[in-house]
Amino acid sequence: MIAGLTYFVTEAWASVWRGRGAAILSVLTIAIAVFVLGLFLLVAGHVQRTVEHWSRSAELSVYLHDGSTDGERAAVRSVLRATPAVAAVEFVSKADALTRFRKNFPELAPAAGSGEDNPLPASFEVRLGSDQSAAALERWSARVSRMPGVADVRYDRRWLDRLVSLGTFVRWTGLLLAAVLVLAAALTVTNVVRLSLHSRRDEIEIMELVGAPLSFIRGPFVGEGMIQGGLGAVVALVLLRVALTLAAPRLSALAAGLFDVGRIEFLSGLWVAGLIVGGMAVGCLGGLVASRRMR
Amino acid sequence: MIEIDGLSKRYAREVFALHDVTMRVGRGEFAFLTGPSGAGKTTLLRILLRQEAPTAGRVIVDGRNLAALGPADVQRYRRTIGFVFQDFKLIPRKTVFENVIFALRILGVPDVQQRRRTFQVLKWVGLQHRANAYPLELSGGEQQRVAIARALVNEPVLVLADEPTGNLDPDLALEIMNLFREMNAGGTTVLVATHDRELIHHVGRRTIALDHGLVTESA
Repeated sequence: MIAGLTYFVTEAWASVWRGRGAAILSVLTIAIAVFVLGLFLLVAGHVQRTVEHWSRSAELSVYLHDGSTDGERAAVRSVLRATPAVAAVEFVSKADALTRFRKNFPELAPAAGSGEDNPLPASFEVRLGSDQSAAALERWSARVSRMPGVADVRYDRRWLDRLVSLGTFVRWTGLLLAAVLVLAAALTVTNVVRLSLHSRRDEIEIMELVGAPLSFIRGPFVGEGMIQGGLGAVVALVLLRVALTLAAPRLSALAAGLFDVGRIEFLSGLWVAGLIVGGMAVGCLGGLVASRRMR
Repeated sequence: MIEIDGLSKRYAREVFALHDVTMRVGRGEFAFLTGPSGAGKTTLLRILLRQEAPTAGRVIVDGRNLAALGPADVQRYRRTIGFVFQDFKLIPRKTVFENVIFALRILGVPDVQQRRRTFQVLKWVGLQHRANAYPLELSGGEQQRVAIARALVNEPVLVLADEPTGNLDPDLALEIMNLFREMNAGGTTVLVATHDRELIHHVGRRTIALDHGLVTESA
């Protein structure tokens, strides 16, 4: 068993090395496919993390009319507290809102006026649970917005929904593009392995004549495809890592503004392993297809 | 060892490479298959190697009906026979030793035995000192001796040779024939296809003559 595997790997590596010109082409096409897939996974992963982060801190703000009565506020508060989707409710008075605004945006503080002409409304800040359906919350927030004393309801889960849609779009676009590239890579590997088969047809004939089993003949060619696939994936991941390291400072600033997810992170170990195994699987498939006509 | 009855091989509608060939080669026998180019010698050997299927007729080798063999049976069958060709059919990128041991590797023989047996046959053909050389570094005669070593390394019951001396000068041809004779003396059945009447005369074994796909003489 071990001797057989050693034979396959040795022969496959020797074949890759002999046909290294064509093998580089295979490795590069797989590298491009894995690079694109990895890139989309990175973006989709960060969008996903953002969604999760915002989901945990999603808020709904219920702004009150300046003339709202204590009774109206109490009614609104009791409705909010009685709703299972609501995790916590905090009342922010006009004065509190102004204090918070001045603290967060000191350069804009003069524009916010003084205590007497404070333009900021009082509000209830509502923290939502993360397991609520967007549609149900939408209906509920519409109902709250119609209550007496309520001026407006701002619901940032709408943005979350858009972000989720964006993440889904990015993921599916990436998968589609990667699928096309993977197909192209598999075809390239198939053709490169076929070239290798063609250049070794005399050797294959000899193997057939001495009664070598099909697996013994095919094995090195399948191994050749796997090596090309694995190398392609490793090249792609290294390039992706280098690109990320080089672009990290700029991306971090962008990400901080856009996604609020802290620093940009590389793919997880599981994804890295998955992409390498995936690259090898594509190469294996190419090798199998190329050698399937052997008898 | 070889029983052929009514064997025909047709390539096109009226082009017969072999036509109603009936012949026998006994176990432990050394026989020549002779005839001019195009007589059907190579086609017959290709059928015996199960590289081609007959159009009609029955071919039995060592008790196996070749027509009834499935792909896995063909592999097992080929492991019991050796072959030697005019163009040696060696793998250029492998050393002499690797070319010979290769035939044992697929049999799953333990490593130590593989090496011992390979050295034995290389010694027998007188090439133990060239074990690490590559085929293209050897003379034609030496390359053919490597091919013979490979044919014999798995101790086959039958060795088929197609013009094994076709690329060699007369002295080397005789040297190669002596190896076949020694091989036969050890009990291996040998069938050599050649058009070299002088060589056949010199070795002096039974001859089966083919011409235009027909057996014209078997003596």
